[in-house]
Amino acid sequence: MSDVSMDKVNKVYENGFHAVKDMSLDIADGEFMVLVGPSGCGKTTALRMVAGLEDITSGILRIGGKEVNDETPKERDIAMVFQNYALYPHMTVAQNIGFALKLRKLPKNELDAKVKEAAGILGLTDWLDRKPGQLSGGQRQRVAMGRAIVRQPSVFLMDEPLSNLDAKLRVQMRAEVARIQRQIGVSTIYVTHDQVEAMTMGDRVTVMRDGTLQQVDTPQNLYDSPDNIFVAAFIGSPAQNLYDATVGEGARSIKLGSQDVELPESVVLKRPGLRAYAGKEVVVGMRPEHLRAESSTSTGPKIVGEVDLVESLGSELVVHFTIDAHRVIAEGAVDKDEAAALQSGEGVARVEAKTPVKPGDRVTFSVDIEDMQFFDPKTGLAVRG
Amino acid sequence: MTTTSSDTEQVPVAAPLVGRPDVNRKRMARLGWGFTTPSLIVIGLVTIFPIVYSVVLSFSAATVTGNGVALNGFTGSNYSLVLSSSKWHYALGFTIIYTLVTVLVELVFGTLIALVLERLTAGRGLMMALLLIPWSMITVINAELWGYIYQGTYGVADAILNAVGLGHPNILGQSTPAIIGLMIADIWKTTPFVAILVLAGLVMLPGDIYEAAEVDGSSGWSTFWRITVPLLRPTLALAVMFRVLQAFGLFDLPYVLTNGGPGTATTSLAILGYNVIFKNLSFGPGAAVATTSALLVLLGCLLSLRTFRVQVGKED
Amino acid sequence: MRNRKRTGWHRYINGINISAFFVVLFVGLPLYWLIASSFKTPANLGNSPPQFFPNPVSVGNYTDAFKNNDFGQYFINSLIVTLIATALVLILGTMAGYALGRLPMRGKFTLMVTLLIISVFPAIAVIAPLYLVLRNLGWLNSYQGLIIPYTAFNLPFAIWILRNYMLGIPKEMEETGRIDGAGPFRTLWTIILPMALPGIFTAGIFCFTACWTEFLMALTFNSANQYRTIPVGIAEFGTVFTVPYGTIFAASVVAVVPIGILVFIFRKFVISGLTSGAVKG
Repeated sequence: MSDVSMDKVNKVYENGFHAVKDMSLDIADGEFMVLVGPSGCGKTTALRMVAGLEDITSGILRIGGKEVNDETPKERDIAMVFQNYALYPHMTVAQNIGFALKLRKLPKNELDAKVKEAAGILGLTDWLDRKPGQLSGGQRQRVAMGRAIVRQPSVFLMDEPLSNLDAKLRVQMRAEVARIQRQIGVSTIYVTHDQVEAMTMGDRVTVMRDGTLQQVDTPQNLYDSPDNIFVAAFIGSPAQNLYDATVGEGARSIKLGSQDVELPESVVLKRPGLRAYAGKEVVVGMRPEHLRAESSTSTGPKIVGEVDLVESLGSELVVHFTIDAHRVIAEGAVDKDEAAALQSGEGVARVEAKTPVKPGDRVTFSVDIEDMQFFDPKTGLAVRG
Repeated sequence: MTTTSSDTEQVPVAAPLVGRPDVNRKRMARLGWGFTTPSLIVIGLVTIFPIVYSVVLSFSAATVTGNGVALNGFTGSNYSLVLSSSKWHYALGFTIIYTLVTVLVELVFGTLIALVLERLTAGRGLMMALLLIPWSMITVINAELWGYIYQGTYGVADAILNAVGLGHPNILGQSTPAIIGLMIADIWKTTPFVAILVLAGLVMLPGDIYEAAEVDGSSGWSTFWRITVPLLRPTLALAVMFRVLQAFGLFDLPYVLTNGGPGTATTSLAILGYNVIFKNLSFGPGAAVATTSALLVLLGCLLSLRTFRVQVGKED
Repeated sequence: MRNRKRTGWHRYINGINISAFFVVLFVGLPLYWLIASSFKTPANLGNSPPQFFPNPVSVGNYTDAFKNNDFGQYFINSLIVTLIATALVLILGTMAGYALGRLPMRGKFTLMVTLLIISVFPAIAVIAPLYLVLRNLGWLNSYQGLIIPYTAFNLPFAIWILRNYMLGIPKEMEETGRIDGAGPFRTLWTIILPMALPGIFTAGIFCFTACWTEFLMALTFNSANQYRTIPVGIAEFGTVFTVPYGTIFAASVVAVVPIGILVFIFRKFVISGLTSGAVKG
C-alpha cells in the first residue's frame, strides 16, 4: 500500500501526439481516485503510464515515494483491471486468479489459500473450476477484480472496468467495487468516461481534457464549484445550463438575453471578483435543480422560458425550455450529437413531478441565485475571489 | 535528461520532452525482428535467392557442364527465342484459356453448391467434410483416377459415351476432348473447395440484413444479387485471385494425365518450362519461360494490390 | 423464406435436399470409383463395360503396392518430409506470426505483401536454380532437399494465417501478463500460444496437406526410388505401355486416408482458416 505521485508527467507519442501534458497529481495512500474526461482526453494514457505499459516521456512518477519511471510493470507492484477483463480463456477461474502468484513461485498451499480468500471476498467460491467462457459478464468482471486483489498490490489500476456490463449490473458493481476497495484499503486509480461513476465512486475526482488536468477535488466540490466552464459542463446530468450574459452596472443585476435577473448583494460578496465584470460579459451557470417552476407572484430572481418538451421521470419532471440568451457549449464536455441537439438558448430544469407544465407554456422559473456559477467568457475560469 | 536550475524553472518544459526514447517500444520491435528473422532467412534463401538466380540464368548463355551450369555472360537471346516460339505462344494461350474457364466454372458451381448447403437443415458438417476430401487429395491421384475414367477401351466415361451412341472417341487421344477432360478433372477437385469458401463467407454475413431485406420486400434472386453478392465480393475477389494465380502454375494434372499431349495440346507454361529445362537441358531458355510466367503472376498480383491492401492494411 | 416450416414429405424431398443429393453424387461418385477400383482384380479393372461393384472383392492390389512395389517406403518418405517440414513451419511461423501480428515493427505492411506474393509464386519459377543449388550441395535425393524448400514455400501462408489469429487476441492479454510479471517468452508460451491454438492447427493442416500433395519439387529433386514421396511414387508406377491402375488405386486409397482423417477431425479449423482472410487452394 502506497501513495502515487505524478510530477509534471508528459506523454508524447512517436507520431508527435501529445497525449498527456504536464500532469501533476498526488494520490494518497488508500485513496480512491477517479480519472474522468471525454474520450481521447489522456486519462487512459495516464493510467497506462502509471502501470508501466507506456513509457513516460518526461516528468517523474513515484509510487510509495520511490521513482519508478524505469521500472517494469512487475517491479512497480501494481494490479490492473482492463475494460475487456483480459481473462485467460484457457485457464480456470482459480488459475486466472492465481497466475501472478504462480509466476512469483508462491508455495502451492499458500497460493490456494490466497485464491480462496479472494474468491470469498468476490463471491466466486463456487465458480473456481469454471473457465471464463462459462461465466456471465458480471462474474467475469469479478474474476478480473479477483486477479487484481489476490496479489495485494500497492496500487490498483482500473480502466473502465464496468463499461462492458449492462446498466443495471453496472450500478450494482459500482457499489461493490467501491466496497471492496474500502475493505482492502489499497490506493486505486480508476479511469472512466462516465461522470456518474466518477461522482459515486471516487474519494476524489480528476477531470481531464485534451491531455490537461482540469480540476482535482471531491465529487461535491467539483459539482458545486467547478474551476472552469469545461468542468461545469462535464460534471452533472442533465448538464448545467450555461449562458452568455452581461453583468449590469454596479453588479446589481445580470442581463440574460432580454431578461434582467436581479443579483443580490450576498452573491457579489461571496464572489468579489464579480464586481470587476460590471458592464462586461460573463458566462453564467445554473444547475437544472436550481430552477424552480413557481407562481409568477413569488419574489426573488427569476427567468421566464418557453417550454419545448417535458420528460417525466416519475419522481420529477425534466423540463426543456428556451430563453433568448446564447447557450454556451463547452467543447468536448458533451458529445457532438448532444451539442447539435442543444439549440441555442435551450435550457433544462428539474422540477417537481406534480408541476402543471406542458410544451408551449411560458413558465417562470425562480433561480437559486446563491448557487449560480460565473465564468470568464475568454479564459473559461470561474469568477470567485 | 538535463538538470534544471532554479532560475530556468519558468521556462516551459519543451526540452525534456524529446529526451526519453520509447525504450519499451524499441525493445518490443527488436524482439519482433528477432522472431521474424529466422523465417525471413529461410524464405529468402529458398525463394527470393532462386528467383533472382532464375532471372540471371534467363539472361545468360548458359551451358550444362559436368558439375552444374556455366553462365557464359549476358545475352538477350533466351527471351527472343522464347517470345518468338510458337510453342510458347500456344502454352501461354492454353494456360490463359484453361485458367479462365476452370475458375469461372468453379466459381459458378461453387456458389450454387454453397447456396444449397447453406439452406441444408441437416448433415451440413458431413457435407463439408466430404467436400474437403477432393481438396486434400494428391493431384497425381486425381490425374490417375480420371485417366482411368477416360481410358479409351475400359474407362467409365468411354462406356457412357458409347452407351449414348458416340462410339469410342478416345478422349485423351484428341486435342479438344483432352483439354475438356483435363478441365473436368480440375473442376471436380477444386469446385468443392470454392463452395466451402463461399459457404464460409455466406455464414458470416449478418442475418439481420436478410431480415431487413425481407421486411423491405426483397426475396429470392433480388436478395441474392443485391445483397448476398455485393457482401461476398471481397471473399470472392480474393478467392478468384488466388485460384487464377494458382491455375497459372498448372503442372501436376497435365503432367500425369496427358503428359502435355496429345502432341502439345495440354502443354501449360509450367510443363513447357519443365521440359525445356530438364528434358532439353536448356537452362537459359527454360529460365526465361519460368521468369516470364513469374512476371505474369507478379503483374496479376500488382493489379490486385488493392485487394491485398484490404486484407493487410486492417490494423495499420 | 428461410424459416418456412415444411410439413409431410416436403420435409425430406424438396429442392434443397435433391440438389444436395446431386452434390454428393458429383463429389462422391469419382471417390467411390477410386475405392471400388482398388478392390477389383487386375483382370476386372479392364472390363468393358466396367463393373460397378468389385466382384470378386480383392485385396491383391494392396499387397502388390506394398510387397512388389516400394509403396511402404514412399509412404514413410512422405511422412518424414511432411511431418518435419510442418513442424518447422509451425515453429518459425508462430514466432513470425506473433511478431507481425502483435509487436510494433516498422515495415510490417511491406513484409506482409511480399510474403503474400511469394506464397502465390509458381514453383516452376524457382525450380531450375533450386535444382542447381541442391545438386551442388549434394542434397538431391535426400530428405533435407525437400524439407527445406517445403518449409520455405509454406512459411509465408502459415505466417499469414497465424498473424491473423494473433492479431485477433486483445492486446490487454499481453499487458495483463506483463503486469502479472510474465516476461515476453513466458507471455508468448503461456498466454498467447494457447489462445492461438486454433490458428496453429489451421496453419498445420494447410501445411501438411500442401507438403503431402506436392509433386513438382519431389519429382525434380528426389527421383531416386529410395527417396520418392507418394505422389512421385504413384506417378512413376508402371511404364509407358501399361498403367497398373489396381496398384495405383490401392496406393491412392492408403495415401488419401491419413489426410482424410486429419481433414475430417480438423474440418472446423480448415474452414476457419479459409475464413480468416486467408485463402488458398
